[in-house]
Amino acid sequence: MSGSIAYAANLSVTPAGRIYAAVKPILWLAVGLLAVEVLVMAFEIRPYYLPRPSAIASGIMATPGAYLAGLWRTFLETALGFLAGSVFGVVMAVVFHRWLALKELFFPLFIVSQTIPVIAFGAVVVLWFGNTLFAKAVISFYISFLPVTVNTLLGFSSVDPRQVQLMRSFGARDGQILRRLYLPAALPQLFVALKLASSLALVGAIVGEWFGDTTGLGVLLLQAMYNENVVGIWATIVVSACLGMGLYSLVSFAERKIVFWGGEQ
Amino acid sequence: MLNRRNILAAFAAAVLGFQGFTMTALPAAAQDVVNASLRLKWLTQAQFAGFYVALEKGYYKEEGINLTINPGGPNLLTENLVATGADTFGLSGGTDSVFAARDKGMPIVCIGVAHQVTPFVFVSHKDGPVQTVADFKGKKITTWFTGANHVLSAMLSKVGIDPKDADIQPQQVSVTPFVDKQVDVVTATRYNELYVINQRVGKDNLNLFVPEDSGVSFPRDTLIVSEQTAAEKPELVEKFLRASVKGWKDAFANEKEAIDIIMKIAPTLDRAQQEFMLSEVKTLMTAGKASTDGLFTIDKDAVGSANGLLAQYGVISKPVDLDAAFNPSFIDKIPAGERRL
Repeated sequence: MSGSIAYAANLSVTPAGRIYAAVKPILWLAVGLLAVEVLVMAFEIRPYYLPRPSAIASGIMATPGAYLAGLWRTFLETALGFLAGSVFGVVMAVVFHRWLALKELFFPLFIVSQTIPVIAFGAVVVLWFGNTLFAKAVISFYISFLPVTVNTLLGFSSVDPRQVQLMRSFGARDGQILRRLYLPAALPQLFVALKLASSLALVGAIVGEWFGDTTGLGVLLLQAMYNENVVGIWATIVVSACLGMGLYSLVSFAERKIVFWGGEQ
Repeated sequence: MLNRRNILAAFAAAVLGFQGFTMTALPAAAQDVVNASLRLKWLTQAQFAGFYVALEKGYYKEEGINLTINPGGPNLLTENLVATGADTFGLSGGTDSVFAARDKGMPIVCIGVAHQVTPFVFVSHKDGPVQTVADFKGKKITTWFTGANHVLSAMLSKVGIDPKDADIQPQQVSVTPFVDKQVDVVTATRYNELYVINQRVGKDNLNLFVPEDSGVSFPRDTLIVSEQTAAEKPELVEKFLRASVKGWKDAFANEKEAIDIIMKIAPTLDRAQQEFMLSEVKTLMTAGKASTDGLFTIDKDAVGSANGLLAQYGVISKPVDLDAAFNPSFIDKIPAGERRL
């Protein structure tokens, strides 16, 4: 009885807390930007090293369409790669957990795949898939699935074998044990990996765009870099950071919704 | 895509063939438009304006080509993408990358040269220690190790300096070390880095060292196709060149319109910089033999000197067979009068 009261009390508090949690990173960003603006003016830092945040903002506002189109395109690539990477990561963890022989056979290959620099891999992806959204999503996928597999496996291993035996003694089948016991037990670990994978997927998408495209944050970054358009570089960094934070908050939000028992954060 | 379309057309033709022979003309007409792609050496910018103008104005369509322009990027080798058939045409690095590719046995052919003279120069501060090429000795120089370093070596050798006696370092993206005088000599393309240096140091405070003044020439920005395309679809190559030349002539005749087209695709570019780039590219593309023979002329003498230079410095194992690597027959089909500005 007391447990349900605590749960209800918790519910009434969360909406305001959630809004604050969502706004908090933006709030801190604003404070940080203001501090940088003041510092740059106070110490008269040359714009080649660090332009004033207001100059960066006006840089974005000069061609908002280009940044919005870039943001949208990079978001699509990241989301596609992230979702595919997460699903694949979890499925592989289940497979490796169920058939240990497969794990011994293929897990080292997974590790090796991550030691190949994504830059080297990118050229091959362009050869295979051309300059498509899909090609960038593939790089995103490639860079994001391993942490998901590793952490899900870690989560599976935290399950008490006696609980498994108990469920088996009640006649639970493998699928039921997986759904009712292993997957829920691995969820807190899984979400740690998903948060990591969301940032990695963004990096993958941006690097993917460095292999030739017309829209995307990676393209804007490259263009600004090679034209020594320092304001443009910073403008793209800011937009990328917003996208990264947005993705992270989205995963965090899902975590709080789904893993309601996870006490951390 | 092409194959699927062919199969569909064949299927349609077969079906129609049963119904009556008079109908078979229809799929044949649909087949006249061919899909092709052009891979650039870099991102969309005024350096490639002519191709975008030709695309925008439908010149490729008029020739029956449904062209897609794919921008390049760092770590992408245009020769690779054209050799494997991922892209039909390529605007690749230059004579250097064509020679390197041929040396490795890649089946690509150069069908036109855009920049007739070396597009980069070496730059020093007027109030600095380097006033002549002879002063390069013992100084700190940055350059690109993709061909420019060999031009530099050749220039130094001509005035009797062993390239080992100069402190030659790989050049990073930014020219800031040169602007801050941490570096004595920097390499700059006339259409890009030089603009930034002019802006930040001032045009009048700079010494420019031009490779051609030392008798070294390194034509760059080469149009390439695979040997297979050159052999099997010569008419496609010709049509592509004709439309491209038309686009470039329009771009140079109306630079404002060309920049508008580029800025529409890449709105974050700096307009003033793009205008500078297009006028510099015009100089490079109409220099040397192109002034008489027209755009995309293959100057075998200039190309041959680059060939010798690369062989001399061991970049390629032996001089490449020029006639196999450079095929001027396609561009020569378009009369010089039509290719001149």
